[in-house]
Amino acid sequence: MTTDNIAKHIIDIVKHRFIWLCVSAILLLPGTAALIYSAIHNENHVPLKVGIDYTGGTILQYGVKENISNSSLSKTRVDLQSIGIDNPYIQILHANGDSQDGINNIISIRTKFIGEDQDTVNKITEALSKDYENPELISVSSVGPTLGNELFKNSLLAITLAFLGIVAYLTIRFKFDYALAAILGIAHDVLFVVGAFSLLGIFYDVQIDGLFITAILTVVGFSVHDTIVVFDRIRENLRYYSKKMSFGEIANASVNQTLARSINTSLTTLLTLLALYFFGGVTTKDFVLAMILGIAIGTYSSIFFCSVLVDIWEDHKNNKTPAEKTTAAI
Amino acid sequence: MKNKIIMFWVIVLIVIASIITIFVKPTKLGLDLVGGSRLVLEAQPTQSVVEITPEVMNRLQFAIESRVNKLGVAETVVQQTGDKRLLVEIPNVTDLKEAKAFLGETAQLEFKKEAVNKDGVTEWVETGLTGQDLAKSTLTTDSVGHWVVSLEFKAEGSKKFADLTKELVGKPMAIFFNGDLVSAPNVNEAIYGGKAQISGGDSGFAYEEAERMVNLLNAGALPVPAKIVEENTVGPTLGADSIAKSKVAGIIGLGFVMLFMLAYYRLPGLIADVALIIYSLILFALFKAIPVTLTLAGIAGFILSIGMAVDANILIFERTKEELRAGRNLFTAINSGFDRAFTSIFDSNMTTIITCTILYLLGTSIVKGFALTLALGVIVSMFSAITITKNFMHLIFGTGELKYPQLFGLRKDEIGKGFEVTETKRENARFGILD
Repeated sequence: MTTDNIAKHIIDIVKHRFIWLCVSAILLLPGTAALIYSAIHNENHVPLKVGIDYTGGTILQYGVKENISNSSLSKTRVDLQSIGIDNPYIQILHANGDSQDGINNIISIRTKFIGEDQDTVNKITEALSKDYENPELISVSSVGPTLGNELFKNSLLAITLAFLGIVAYLTIRFKFDYALAAILGIAHDVLFVVGAFSLLGIFYDVQIDGLFITAILTVVGFSVHDTIVVFDRIRENLRYYSKKMSFGEIANASVNQTLARSINTSLTTLLTLLALYFFGGVTTKDFVLAMILGIAIGTYSSIFFCSVLVDIWEDHKNNKTPAEKTTAAI
Repeated sequence: MKNKIIMFWVIVLIVIASIITIFVKPTKLGLDLVGGSRLVLEAQPTQSVVEITPEVMNRLQFAIESRVNKLGVAETVVQQTGDKRLLVEIPNVTDLKEAKAFLGETAQLEFKKEAVNKDGVTEWVETGLTGQDLAKSTLTTDSVGHWVVSLEFKAEGSKKFADLTKELVGKPMAIFFNGDLVSAPNVNEAIYGGKAQISGGDSGFAYEEAERMVNLLNAGALPVPAKIVEENTVGPTLGADSIAKSKVAGIIGLGFVMLFMLAYYRLPGLIADVALIIYSLILFALFKAIPVTLTLAGIAGFILSIGMAVDANILIFERTKEELRAGRNLFTAINSGFDRAFTSIFDSNMTTIITCTILYLLGTSIVKGFALTLALGVIVSMFSAITITKNFMHLIFGTGELKYPQLFGLRKDEIGKGFEVTETKRENARFGILD
C-alpha cells in the first residue's frame, strides 16, 4: 500500500518536463526547417522530393535473348544507380507467344522523365549492355502518375476523418484532453518522419514513392497504440491513488510502470524492421526506414511528449480551480 | 479446468482448419509482389469525338478505373502513356479474356429515332439521350418472366426521355448498345417518371447478356472506344530480386522477435511464440479465405499487426510479473494480469479498428489494402492473446504457488517485494482473493 513504491522511478518526466519538450523541439526543428526550405525552393512547392509514382516518368523497354535471373536483375539495378538513374522500377515482361528475333524477355525500366534526352537513353543502353548480350531498345514512352492528385487528396481526406474517429473514441473512453494529446503525439511523430525524409531528399536525393503513405499510416497506428497503453495506466492508477498522490506523481509512476513494455514492444517491432532494412530488398529500403524512424519516435513521444502534455494541462487546470484538485480522476 | 481443456481442443481444431485452408486456397498477391498482365489500350477517335484530347484521355482513364473496380479486380493500376494510350496492369487475373472483353467495350447506350436522310433512305439518328443520362440500371424480370434491364434516369434525363416519348407516340424508338440495335419498340404513350425497361426483342435476353449489360451501364460508358494494342505478362513492380531478399529478411526478423521473447520472458515467452505461430496461421488462412489481395502495403499492415499481437502478450506478461512480485499465487496472478492488461489492449485495438474502418471505406487502393489486413490482424490478435495465450498459461502453470520464479525471468528475492496492487472489493472477488 506504499505510495513510495509506486513513486519509485527510472525516468522523471514531470520534474524535467520542459526539458523533454525542448528535446521534442530539437528533434523536430531540422526536419521542419527542411520542409519549409524545400517548399520554397522545390518546383510545385512540394516539401518532399516525390518519385515517379506521383509525377509520372519514362518507360524504356529492352528486348533480351537470355533468361533473367534475380541476381542479374539486382546487378542491373546497381549499374543503373551508378549512372545516376535513381530508384528505377525494373520489371521483367515475358513477350507472349511471339519470340521472333530470338527475344525472350523484355526488361522494362521506369524512371523519372527523360523526354528527348538521347544521352541518358544511350547511357542506360550502355549500362544494360554490360549485363546482357545485345539488349535491343524496343520503345521509349512516357507514363502518367499512378498516384494522381485525386488519389492523394482522397487519402488525405480519409486520414483526416480517421483522426476525428480517434478523437471521438478517446474522448468517450478517456477525456478530451487525452484525445488531444494523442493526436498531437501523432502529429509530432508524422512531422518527424516527413521532416526526416525532407532532409534526406535535400542531402541524399531520396524520393518518396507510393509506399510512403503506407509507412506514414503505420506510424500513425503505432503512435496511437503506444500512447493509449500509457494513458490506460494513468487512468488505472488515478482510480487507486488520486487521493494520495498528485497527478504528476501518478503520470510519472505510470510511465515508469509501462516503460519495460514500451521498450520491449518497440524493440520487437524494430527487430523485424531492422532485419528487413539490412537484409531485405533495395526497392523497399526507404519504406522500411520511414517505419523504423516512426516507431522509434512513436515510443519517445508516448513517454516524453503525450504524458508530459497531459500533465501540464492537468496542472494548469488545477491551478485555476484549486477546489477541484482532488477530483482529477476520470 | 474442464473448460480450459475444451478450449484447448477448440484451438487445435481452428489451427487444423487454418492449415487446411492455407493448403487448399491459392494466395492472391498484388502486382507489386507477383506481377500480372499488362494491357495497353489505345483510344480510338470516333465521328463525334474526332480528336483525342488530354481531357478525353482523363475521362477514359477514369471510366476504365471505375470499370475495373466493378470487375472486382483489386489493386489494378491504370496509367496514361503517351498521348492516347492507357497502360492497365492487372494482378493475376484468372480469366484475362473476360477482363479484356470488359475493358474494351464502350458500353455506349443510345436512344435513336427514325429520320429520312437526304437520299430518301430511312435511318436511325441520335436523339441526344444516352447512357450518360442514366442514374442506375438494375436486372429484373418482366411480367412473363423474361430478363429485362431496368433503367432509371437522372432528373435531366427523365425530362429528355419524357419529351422524346411524347414526340414519338405511335412511332418506333430504337435502343442501341455498343452500336448494335438491341430493340426498337413502338412508343404507345409518353412516359413520365424517368423509368424504362429494355427487353431483348422477341427472344428476350439470356441472363448473362442482361447481367453484363447492367454491369457495364452502371460502370459508365467510355467516352471513346479503346482497342487493346499490346498484351504482356509482367514480373513484379518491386522486382523479383528485392522480394526474394525481403522474404528471407522477414523470416530472420520474426526469428529475432521469437528469440527475444524467449530470452526475456522465458516460459511465458515460449507460450507467446507458439501463440504467435498460431496467430499467423489463422490470419494467413483468413487472407486466403476472404480472399485478400496482398500487396506490400497489405504486408505492412500485417507486420504492424504482428507487432500489436506481440505487444498484447508483452502487456499481459508484464502485468502478470507485477502480480507475482506482489506475492500472488499463479492462478490469481495470471488472471489479474490478463484482466488488468485487457483495458489497454482493448482501447488501443479499438482505435486501430476504428481508424482502419474509416480508411477502408474512404481510402483508395493502397490505403484500403493496408487497412483491411491491419484490421483483420488486430481482431485475430485479440483472440490470440486473450484466448490462446491465457489458455496455454493456465494449462501449463496450473494453480498454486510459483515454485520456480526463473520460469518467468524473475529472481526469488523479488517476489513479494514489489509494489502492492490495491484492488477494490469487487475486483478481489473476481480474482478470487480471500484475504
